[in-house]
Amino acid sequence: MRTKKEDLIRYKDGNLYCELADIWIDPRKPVKTALITHAHFDHFTFGCEQYISTKETAILLKKRVGDNIKIKTFEYGEEFKINGINISFHPSGHILGSSQIRFIFAEEKWLISGDFKLQKDETCKQYEIVKTDYLISECTFGLPIFKWDQTNKIANNISEWITNSPEKTSLLFCYSLGKAQRLINEITQTNFNGNIYSHGSIYKINNCYKELGIDIKDTIKIENKKKFEELRGSLILLPPSLSKGSYLKNFKNIQTAFASGWMSIRALRKRSGYDKGFTISDHADWDGILEVVKKSEAKNVFFHHGDSEALSKYLVEKESINVLFLGQ
Amino acid sequence: MSLKKFSELFADLDSINSTNNKIEVLKSYFLSNEPIDNSWAIYLLTGKSNKRLISGRYLKKLFSQIYEYPQWLIDACYLKVGDSAEVITLLLKNKTTSRNKKLSNISLNELLSKIIPELSKLDEEKKILEIKKIWETIPEDNHLIFNKILTGTFRIGVSTALIRKSISKLINIDETIISHRLMGNFKPSIESYEFLINKNINIEELNTKPFPFLLANTFEDKILKRTINDFQFEWKYDGIRMQLIKRSGNISLWTRGQELVNESFPELVEKMSHIEDNFVLDGELLVWNFKEQIAFDFSLLQKRINRKSPARSIQIKYPIIFIAYDLLEINGRDIREIKLEKRRIDLEKYFSKWQNKTENNFSDIFKICDLIYPKDWSDALTYKEKSRENNTEGLIIKQKNSVYASGRKKGFWWKYKVDPMQLDAVLIYAKGGSGRRAGLYTDYSFALWKDQELIKFASAYSGLTNIEIKELDKWIRKNTIKKFGPVRSLKPEMVFEISFEKIQISKRHKSGIAVRFPRITKWRKDKKIKDADSLENAYELMKKIT
Repeated sequence: MRTKKEDLIRYKDGNLYCELADIWIDPRKPVKTALITHAHFDHFTFGCEQYISTKETAILLKKRVGDNIKIKTFEYGEEFKINGINISFHPSGHILGSSQIRFIFAEEKWLISGDFKLQKDETCKQYEIVKTDYLISECTFGLPIFKWDQTNKIANNISEWITNSPEKTSLLFCYSLGKAQRLINEITQTNFNGNIYSHGSIYKINNCYKELGIDIKDTIKIENKKKFEELRGSLILLPPSLSKGSYLKNFKNIQTAFASGWMSIRALRKRSGYDKGFTISDHADWDGILEVVKKSEAKNVFFHHGDSEALSKYLVEKESINVLFLGQ
Repeated sequence: MSLKKFSELFADLDSINSTNNKIEVLKSYFLSNEPIDNSWAIYLLTGKSNKRLISGRYLKKLFSQIYEYPQWLIDACYLKVGDSAEVITLLLKNKTTSRNKKLSNISLNELLSKIIPELSKLDEEKKILEIKKIWETIPEDNHLIFNKILTGTFRIGVSTALIRKSISKLINIDETIISHRLMGNFKPSIESYEFLINKNINIEELNTKPFPFLLANTFEDKILKRTINDFQFEWKYDGIRMQLIKRSGNISLWTRGQELVNESFPELVEKMSHIEDNFVLDGELLVWNFKEQIAFDFSLLQKRINRKSPARSIQIKYPIIFIAYDLLEINGRDIREIKLEKRRIDLEKYFSKWQNKTENNFSDIFKICDLIYPKDWSDALTYKEKSRENNTEGLIIKQKNSVYASGRKKGFWWKYKVDPMQLDAVLIYAKGGSGRRAGLYTDYSFALWKDQELIKFASAYSGLTNIEIKELDKWIRKNTIKKFGPVRSLKPEMVFEISFEKIQISKRHKSGIAVRFPRITKWRKDKKIKDADSLENAYELMKKIT
């Protein structure tokens, strides 16, 4: 029986790895067994022998990797065992199907937060507080300058942005999985009642969400529109990859915006080249990270995905929480 | 009218890229607000306010004190944001719980003419309390504007030209008139705004104001096809461009940056008072080497610029001269519409008249610019190459039949600058940028070899493309040897071609040299650090010039 537990999960080749179970978490290289927290492209790779995820993530993953992958699914909260370790998925509130992953071994709990947010989002399950001894958390927005406004306030701003320029076509750029669906859901609850169009890549995922029981309004596939000029006053959702290059020449008289947590910083907003930035994120803000760290009751915390220097120092000095580095 | 409207204007201008749309937004702002607030808005947007009540650093300290917030955490945030006013604005969002629910609705005028001036008179303790009170009573959307006004960092990508265009379109009066009305001091008041939008053009009102300066464009090769006789050639001096104005006997010295600098150069003002005529001259102020009849380096001029009422000893140590290029107005008659060659004749005529009639000889402080007469374009090129020898930057080429327009109009004047000096240097330090470049390492220091050691010789932050900046930023993060606060010392590996205009001895720098206007002109990925230049190469450049 293994007794040393401080390194149950560690970094190996830049990925989170549990040696005892020989499983990887969100690996970015092909491995034997991969636990997947959610279906964003930077959290999985092609060519793993076996994937394990929630049911929703599995369906989204298949849309992206292909139907022929070997994938095992579990419900939120359902425990399964690999080499003596109890593992379970818990909602992380990031996007549909996204999860935190908990490991229990020798009566000690480890929790990998995955990407998470605490804000209300009707297109996925609300974040669940999970108690743990060790917490491995993301910290994408780990500075106090990041403080999110209420989602409906941002949605109203977007609605005003469109309706204040009725002669223009409003192009809103956003990540096609998760953010786009959340925006559709929020914007349909504002005063804006014009048409919403989706780019094919977003449209595909909208359908996926609907099949999985998420009730979002139908949008029109932009590719089905013959004349792009007649889009005055409507909203078009596009993936950020199309913001540079010739695609925009299809449209006339446009205004552009990007929806992302980074848009809270003016320099980034200016550098991004969009006319406008809407600060809305599927990650936790500073207060959100602090809340999760505290409520998880973790005695040891590790951070990854982001600049954790200031956040770590703050937790050590102000909250007396033990922040550690993940060893290789 | 509330501060809120101005905050909205700021947000709108910040998010619009099209010039025409910006003009529309400004026009509708001017139409829907009080003259006094418009006046303040123009004052802020044209950068007439460069006074700051408190420094960015102090603002951060203040926040830290008021909310017992760790200073290091604010500094960490600053590295990401690059603007103190904005950092504090973002951090204030976390403090909304303590916010007073009754939000006061102050006007731009109230803030700038009453609250801020009163604030500056308070002692430390009261000032802190007052700022805290304002933070907690004004709407959250106004924090950025308030903080920016406090710290005097008001840059939002709206040029004076844009303001000019907007007002010009608003009242249908030619832009050059608006431009002229905006020159010089602008004291925000109902009157100053009404003067600006007055549809009657009355030259009398512009009495104390300089004309908008005509600026030279970069030389274009297509000019080489034209006959050389179409042009007038002058040396391009590296001094302070200035208009020397004498109207109704009153003298004013206006820099191109629209500052009145009479007090810095009393000896010039005194000499000018002896001339009988009224006039407006366009020219350059320099510290002059009378023995060799060439300009001294710009660094000597810097010793005079910011010094008001300089002592006689300073006046002797750094003797100035005003070199007149052009005559724009004579005895109340605006002659800017007359062709340059005719204006030149007038300039020479009046100059010799003044010289003969003035009891007080003024050749020790005032002269007209000598012209150069190249035979053909290749001869002009030879002159250009020689310009370093007499401490000029190259040539100014003016079309003889041109009028004196305003701004950087194409087709009037060109600058034909001598090629910069260059050295290949090694990148050794990087520092985080501010403003638009926040969160990226964009301020670089470069070194040259001295035996086996790399010695820092210049810092530069311009010249790379945005893509190169991002690439280099990544490299910097991976190749940091040590961090000193915001500065990183780097593994010596990257070589860059650094261009600069001047090189001179400097005791203040470890390298012993100082260069002017250093900038990156090429990322020499093809070069290894051993191929970089040495300090000796730099010294040789210096020898070549003198």
